Order: sequence, then C-alpha cells, then structure tokens
Amino acid sequence: MAARLLNDRAILAAGGAILAAWAVFAASGYEQRVLTLAGIYAILVLGYQLVFGHAGALSLAQGAFFGIGGYATGILASRYGWPFPATFALSFAAPAALAALVALPVLRLESHYFALATLAIAQTVLLAAINWVDVTGGANGLYGVPGIAAFGQAVPAGLPLLVFVWACVALAGWIAWLATRGRRRDRFTTLRDAPLAAAASGLDTGRLRTGAFILGAAFAGAAGALHVHTLRVVSPEILAFDTMVLCLTMTVIGGRTRIAGAIIGALLLTHLPEWFRALDRYYLIATGAILLAAILFAPNGIAALLPRRAAPGTPPDGPPDGPPDGSTDGPVQSQAAPAPRAELRIAGLQKSYGGVRAVDGVDLAIGSGDIVGLIGANGSGKTTLANLVTGFAAPDGGTITWNGAAIAGQPAYRIARAGIGRSFQHPDLPPSMAVRDAIAVALPAAHPQAALAGLLAEFDLAGIAATPCGSLPHGARRRTDIARALAANPGLLVLDEPAAGLTDDEAQALAAILRRRAGAGLALLVIEHHTGFLAALADRLVCLSSGAVIAEGAPDSVFADPAVRDAWLGAPMAADR
Amino acid sequence: MLAIQLLINSIALGAAYALIALGFVLVLNATTAVNFAHGEAVVAGGFLAVALAAAAPDTGLPGIVLLPAVLLIMAAFGLAMSWLVYMPLRRQPPVSVFISTIAFGIVVANSLNALFGAAPRAGPPLFGGGQIALFDSAAGPLIVSEQALATIGVAALLLGGTGVLLTRTQLGRRLRACAQDPEMARAVGIDLTTMTALAFALATALAGAAGLMLANQFFVTAHDGGGLMLKAYIAVVIGGWGSLRGAAAGALLIAVFEVFVAAILSQPVAEALLYIALFAVLALRPQGLFGEAAQRRA
Repeated sequence: MAARLLNDRAILAAGGAILAAWAVFAASGYEQRVLTLAGIYAILVLGYQLVFGHAGALSLAQGAFFGIGGYATGILASRYGWPFPATFALSFAAPAALAALVALPVLRLESHYFALATLAIAQTVLLAAINWVDVTGGANGLYGVPGIAAFGQAVPAGLPLLVFVWACVALAGWIAWLATRGRRRDRFTTLRDAPLAAAASGLDTGRLRTGAFILGAAFAGAAGALHVHTLRVVSPEILAFDTMVLCLTMTVIGGRTRIAGAIIGALLLTHLPEWFRALDRYYLIATGAILLAAILFAPNGIAALLPRRAAPGTPPDGPPDGPPDGSTDGPVQSQAAPAPRAELRIAGLQKSYGGVRAVDGVDLAIGSGDIVGLIGANGSGKTTLANLVTGFAAPDGGTITWNGAAIAGQPAYRIARAGIGRSFQHPDLPPSMAVRDAIAVALPAAHPQAALAGLLAEFDLAGIAATPCGSLPHGARRRTDIARALAANPGLLVLDEPAAGLTDDEAQALAAILRRRAGAGLALLVIEHHTGFLAALADRLVCLSSGAVIAEGAPDSVFADPAVRDAWLGAPMAADR
Repeated sequence: MLAIQLLINSIALGAAYALIALGFVLVLNATTAVNFAHGEAVVAGGFLAVALAAAAPDTGLPGIVLLPAVLLIMAAFGLAMSWLVYMPLRRQPPVSVFISTIAFGIVVANSLNALFGAAPRAGPPLFGGGQIALFDSAAGPLIVSEQALATIGVAALLLGGTGVLLTRTQLGRRLRACAQDPEMARAVGIDLTTMTALAFALATALAGAAGLMLANQFFVTAHDGGGLMLKAYIAVVIGGWGSLRGAAAGALLIAVFEVFVAAILSQPVAEALLYIALFAVLALRPQGLFGEAAQRRA
C-alpha cells in the first residue's frame, strides 16, 4: 500500500501543493518574482523537450526563439504601444514562423550538422540584435516595456503575475501532453532512438520533427514575451548562448521528456543562484559543474528518479486477446491474411559511390508470392540494391516501379506506406521500448489490436511482449524487427540477412513463417549468405557481382553456375553449409 | 599593397584556426562527438602563455620558448578532459558528450574568468612584436608584423608535424585506424581507450598552441572559447566531416573571408555573413563543400 501511495504523481502533487501554499502565503515579493521566472523557464523547457527530448534533435536555437519572442514584445509594446494580446500573439508566431522557414533545410541534417546550423541561426539573431541599433536598441536593449494588461484588466507584478504565468505553464503543459501522448509518444521514441526503423515503418519523420521544432519555437516565443513583461527590459543578454545553455541544463537535469521534469528543472535552476549566493562570481562554475555531474550521474534527469506508478491498463504480460503461448496450430495459421498486391519491376538500376559502381544496371522483377534470394560476395551491392528499392538511397539512374507507379528516389517512409517493408542487417529498435510497442508503431492507424496479438504469437514474442528491446537476445531482436516490418502489412518485404546469427532451429522457424506468408501472397526479396537457408526457402536466386547480375534462376542451377562459384563462393568451392 | 598585407594577416589567422580545427577533427574522429569545450582549450592555452610570461617578467621570454611548455601542459589538460568528460559517457549517444563538453567548457571559461579577470590580456609574441618591411615597390613598402609571419611559420611546422605523426608513424596509423573502424582496430589489438585519450591530448595541445599565437595579436578573454569552437566547427563542415586536410583548408578559407569582409564592411557583418554562408552550405550541400556524402550503413 505504501508503495502505491509513494508513486511519482502523489509525490509531485504533494510537492506542488506545498510550493503553491508557500508562494501564496509565505513567499516575499522577491521570492515570488523568482518563482515567476521559474514558470517562464518551465514553458521554455516544455517547448525544448518537444524538440530535444521527444524528437531527439539537439537544437541550439531554442534560446534564439526565446529571445525573438522577447524582442517582438519589447519592440512592439515599448516603441509602438501595441496591446498585450497582439504582442503576445506575435511573440509566439514570429519564432514559430522562423522555425517553419528554416525547418526544411535544417531538419534533414544529421545531428552534428543540425546542432551547428541551429547555433548559426542563434548567432545571426544575436548579431542582429546587437547591431541593428535603430530597432533593437543595440547592446543596451529597450527599457520601459509595460506589464501585462488585457481587456481592461492589468496583471500587476507580484502574486497576480505569478498566478498568470503559472496558469500559462499549466496550459503549455496540457498542450505538450496532448502533442506527445499515446501513439504519438511511441512514434517520437522510435524516430529518436531508431530512426531507420521509423522510416522503414512508414513514419513521416520529417513531419514529426518539423512539428516538434515549430511548436517548441512557439513555446519559447511565448516564454520570451512573459520574460520581457516580467523584467520590463529586453536586451541581447536574452539571446546569449548562456540562455540556451540554461535551457539545456534545465532539460537535462529535470528530465528530457516528462512534463514534471521541465518544471523541476526550471524551479531548481532558477533557485540555485539564490542558494549559492555565497559563491558570488564562482556561481557559474558551480552551474557548469552541476550540469556535468547531472549528465554523468543522472543522465535521465531527476524526474526519472521518482518511483513510477504503473501505467493504468497495461496488461502485466502479453497481449489481452493473444492465443495461448506455444500453441502451434489454430490462430497462427488462420491469421496469415492475404497480402496486398505486389509487382516490383527494376530496370537498368544504377548507383555509384565516388568512383565505385555499387549497383550497375540491375534488372529484376518480383511478383506476389515470389521468394527471391539475393546472393553475392560482401560489397557486391546487395544492401545497396535493398536500400534503393526501399528508399534509403536514391538511384543515379534506372527505374523502379511498384504496382505500376515509379518510386525510385522517393523517401523511405513513402515507399514503406506504399507497401514495401524491410528489415535490417543490424536491427534498429528503440532500446527503451517494449517489444509490443516497437511492433505496434508500424501498424496502420486503423489496424485492429488483434493484428498485434497475431504477430506476437506468429513470431513467438508473446511471452516477452513487455520486455524492452534493448535487453533482447539476438534471435528475439531479429524476430521483433521482422514482425515490425510485417506489422505495416506490406506487399513486398525486403529482408537483409535475416538468418545471420540465428541458430538452426530459429532459422527454420523463420523460414516456415516466411513460406507461409509467401503462400498468402507476400513477395519476398531475401539477402542472405546462409546457403542452406536460401536453398530451402527461395524459388529463385539472383547473384550479384560488382553491382551487376551474373546469374539468375532456380537455386540449384545458380549454385552450380561456375561464375557464381567463382564470384561468390571462391574458386576452390567448400562444402555447402 | 593593402590587399597583400591583408592576405598575409588572414593566412596567419587561418593558420591558427587550422590548428584549432585540426584538433577538433581529431577528437571528432576518435569519439564521433563534437567537443564543445575545444574553444576553451584554446583560451586556456592563451592564458597559460600569459601566465608563463608573467611568471618571469624580467627575462621577457618570447612565445617560442614557452611553446613547448604550453604544448605539454595542454596535452595533460586534454588527457584530464578525456578522462572526465568523455570516458564515462563513451557508451552513451553522442549528445551526452555534447552536453558534458558544454558543461566542462562553462567550468573552464568561468574559472579562467575568476582567475584572470574579464579584461582582455595580451600574450607574448612568438619572437618579437615589431614590423618588418619585406620589400619596396612602386605602391610603397610591404609591411607585415613579425608575429603574423612567425604564426604562419610555427603553425605550418605544427601542422606538418601532426601530418607526419599521423601518416608516417605507427601511433598515427593506429589513431587513424581507430577513427575509421573502431571495431576492426579493437580486433587487431589496438587499445581504443588509450588512442582516444591520445587524440584528446594531441588536439588540446594544438589548441593550446593556437591560443598562444592568437593571444598576442588578438588578446585573450575567458569567453572567447565559444566563438573559436564555432569557427573550427564551421571549418570542419566546409572541409568535409572528418577530413583533416579539409578542416585546415576550411579554416584558412574562414580566416580569409573574415579578414577581407571585415576590412571592406565591418566585423559583425563579416561574422553574420559567415554564419549565413555556412547555412547555405548546409542547406545546399549537407555533405560539406569538398566532402562526399557519408553513407549511413543501413
């Protein structure tokens, strides 16, 4: 019982109530002001959690968005006397618009480049604020920003402003919760921790990241406006890298994804200078040291240290309506529903990396129910061909048509949605996510829960459905990845070395599933080195050498082909595995 | 004449930037993480030179005499940095190292600020602080500062030495092997931990040397690190991610751009244009100006 009462929500509710009572009845005016600032930073951090925590993009422009919101309010309110509703609306619209503008070129960058590009944006904005003196007031900034007043009602400093700001925190928290709950949370986790799987599962990662980036910027702008109304001043300090570092520190120390984490981080970091006042000018050294200690010793933040209440409605183990574990008959066979139509035609496909022709004029046709094995030595172009078909690389020439439509060069998520799934040589699964959720992310939105139960049973994963992917043994990892690929109900499944590292029993079980699926119409393109596995599974083999097809036909005839033996197996042919 | 003088100054600046960028790439290749504290290492090297020169004010030791000491002490500093901010996080995603190095940078910058104060300090010149008239021409004499020439010479020696170390010695081959394929390097018996620590040591020593050279003409203040790190970062993007030569070339390009645009327009405009140019490079060629797209293995 005690454990039930001591869950995180109870602790947070009690802490919040004590803090609120202190703020209203006991806190001095100065302490109320610090709490107001803490609320403002909480809104900034809630926005940053969307970009950095959920979407996993280390943006260094959040401080700039905060400052743009502040300057919009400062300039419009103090110079032009605009009323609060208008300045406030522009304060979050302006950074959101800038975020939308730069999102397209910036968000497709890899993490290092993304951090740098956002830092460049922040530096440019800072330079503009310092040097565009006529508008921004230069290094001194603008003084005399009015307080908040709307609809004839002023919000004076002190308790009213404190309540107003924390009401905004509640609103922001609610919006952040709406934006990241349920399936969307799982999508964000997959996008962040397993980007390849996300794209292969048909998640439009660009849209998710763009949405988080823009919404995060709007939060920052709103926080910036409140900041300026509270301080009554706006100066370039708000745009300095220190503001960004403070925001990052709050997020890392509080927690990257939990709403409570944003509030804890903001409260803690705004109060640290008060507690460390004795340190005087060494205070910033202490901040850096605390950030360093936090990332070294509590990398998931304080919110993660709280005892977590079990999520309501989570079954302790396995899916609710799944078939009993270990059953080999009945439901498993019956659920192999007919696969969608599949007709893949590849003609003259070309791809070079530097001077190397990885894929050199490949023609290939695969139809419903076909099982095509793709063999060749390492470096012969097998994975490149799989990447071209599934949109993980764009071809230099040639055509790929899928059910009559040209798909060459389309993004991976769109090809996945069109019905071509894939698994990976090194399965890319979000380590913290349960097997069940990692597979469910790929289910089409309208798909019944029963399909998930069926997949878990088919791949013998029902018993470990609640296990985090990070602690799976190799075989289960691979099964989870293939189940994830099948969850989207593809017409063609591209498998990259599915049997590598599996025991013979595991490989046979996998082959049985694949044969059954092919019987229901699924087309399969299987890259494999395991000759026994392929010989028993494939009805057709294609052998690549230096990016070109050197043999194609029935497994026996391809394995017997001297050119294949020479190129793939090595001239002095060893016994088959 | 003015253009040639500017060119020599910009090459001197670029040579120092190249040392910084080279160290930045060395750590990047060894750890696949950006070292945000790299700029602070430059600043620390600058202050170290200031402190060493002040320790023996009467002798007036030139920078070139202090250089070996700066290199050694900064190498030790780099070892400490790798042990504190990288080793505990080497199995975490790179973003953890970003944050730990940002935090370490804050600690270093503010410690230096507390130790040396906020006012800019000048370091000793490498040889002397005078001007040299190189030759006369119809357009007037070509006058360049001794320090600019010395910076170019010493930086070239250090860059060349690093190049020889990386390409001609067993240690350098091992360092490069770790950067290109850590798994394979481990498989042939190379100790990754030692190699990473050495990369930090070498990178930080080079950064310290750059700090010593820059501290004379451009002074040094505790909060310069961020801007210097940013320039190294940009140089690496322009030169192609992970390429050592590319980074040095990118650094030179940045310095030329900075010096000339600042001479024609103004310093803030030059800086803003640099960021905008970087942004354009990233938007149009995400693989860098000279680099080839690094293919992510699916």
